[in-house]
Amino acid sequence: MSSPNGLPVVVIACQVLQDLLQRLLPPDLARQVTFMDYGLHRVPSKMTWTVQDAINAVEEPSLIVLGYGLCGNGLNGVQAGRHTLLVPRADDCIAMLLGSVKAYLREFNAAPGTYWLSKGWLESGSHPLKEYQEYQAKYGPDKAMWLMDQQYRNYKRLVLVAHSQEDLDQCRLVALEVARFCERWNMRYEEILGSDNYVRRLVEIAGDLSKADGEFLVIPPGGVIQQAQFIR
Amino acid sequence: MSAIYEQLAMVVLEGDKDRVVELVNKGLSEGLTAKDILDNGMVVGMNEVGARFKRGEMFVPEVLMSADAMQGGLVVLRPQLVASGAKLIGKIVIGTVKGDLHDIGKNLVGMLCEGAGFEVIDLGFNVDPDKFIAAIKTHQPNIVGMSALLTTTMRAMGQTIKAIEEAGLRDKVKVMVGGAPVDAEFARRISADGYGSNAPAGVDLAKRLAGAA
Repeated sequence: MSSPNGLPVVVIACQVLQDLLQRLLPPDLARQVTFMDYGLHRVPSKMTWTVQDAINAVEEPSLIVLGYGLCGNGLNGVQAGRHTLLVPRADDCIAMLLGSVKAYLREFNAAPGTYWLSKGWLESGSHPLKEYQEYQAKYGPDKAMWLMDQQYRNYKRLVLVAHSQEDLDQCRLVALEVARFCERWNMRYEEILGSDNYVRRLVEIAGDLSKADGEFLVIPPGGVIQQAQFIR
Repeated sequence: MSAIYEQLAMVVLEGDKDRVVELVNKGLSEGLTAKDILDNGMVVGMNEVGARFKRGEMFVPEVLMSADAMQGGLVVLRPQLVASGAKLIGKIVIGTVKGDLHDIGKNLVGMLCEGAGFEVIDLGFNVDPDKFIAAIKTHQPNIVGMSALLTTTMRAMGQTIKAIEEAGLRDKVKVMVGGAPVDAEFARRISADGYGSNAPAGVDLAKRLAGAA
């Protein structure tokens, strides 16, 4: 199946966007959809070559939709090779979960010290409570708490973002458990109903590249993703 | 070269604070100078920490423990460093930029700069450009060091440099930047004087900017 762009569409995305993409991708749009491990961004240099390997593995010249933001420079230096790349022009997945870069910046400016939880992040165990449990197993309770304090003491807010009331309800139990743990640093707990608008548009543009605007990057064959392209 | 140096580098790398303190004391009792213990032992270990972190072979908890171990050694060495009459090599104002509260790297740079002989004025995290400007006026540092962990907040570095310019202070200080998303190209674009790829590299840069290396 080719897109109206004439190129087969391939999606390579972080698992954190799996729910949204599976819901929004028209069944006949993408020839291949690959969800990559959560948390590649923790080592951006590794993320770069992991994503690059996934791109290089696509043989036929394609429109590759990357379900990633710049992610701590994880995409910086990724090469299109024989493909065309379509990338949301976002710092990270939070903008995509909230629906726009604007919404992200609004939240960011309201409370810079926000730790974000999403269904995906909770399911993958990527949250402070799990982190503490892992440290505890490895280093013992005192050292574990010291490590946590070093990393989280400046945060002010814990926010669960989801895209339906149902998802919020489903995630709340675990989120509240995390929230209780984070009370140690006086983090307040909030819930935000996100928007699927950004991912919806990503999918729409994958079907018609002419609709791409300043919220997206289109990297032609031979091009390279660069940090500067994300700076607004 | 004393075997103590190698051992010290190793125990800093391992984040073993007790052993660091023990070896520092041993070195001093054997007549090694505080400066040599620091430069040839602990700093060598910390440089390796920086390199491994960058390569994804060490993670934040291990880096924190190495930093804490080194801090333990520095507490022992500090009186000796002061008593040796070593001149301060410069003054540096540091902080994470507005919107960014990730201060682990900045704290590490501060500690290493202090060890290297800088007077360090730490403005903390989420530092407004105005606060940097006020600190430049008050403390008249040679260097201002800014860090950010997020690409979202990295932009505030350029804004802070601009504010320093507008306050007419840009030629009074060297500006260095660092943090995970920062690279040389970005530093050049925002007209910083330099960028450190990790904390030890940041300190080397600070020394060069202060004309001490």
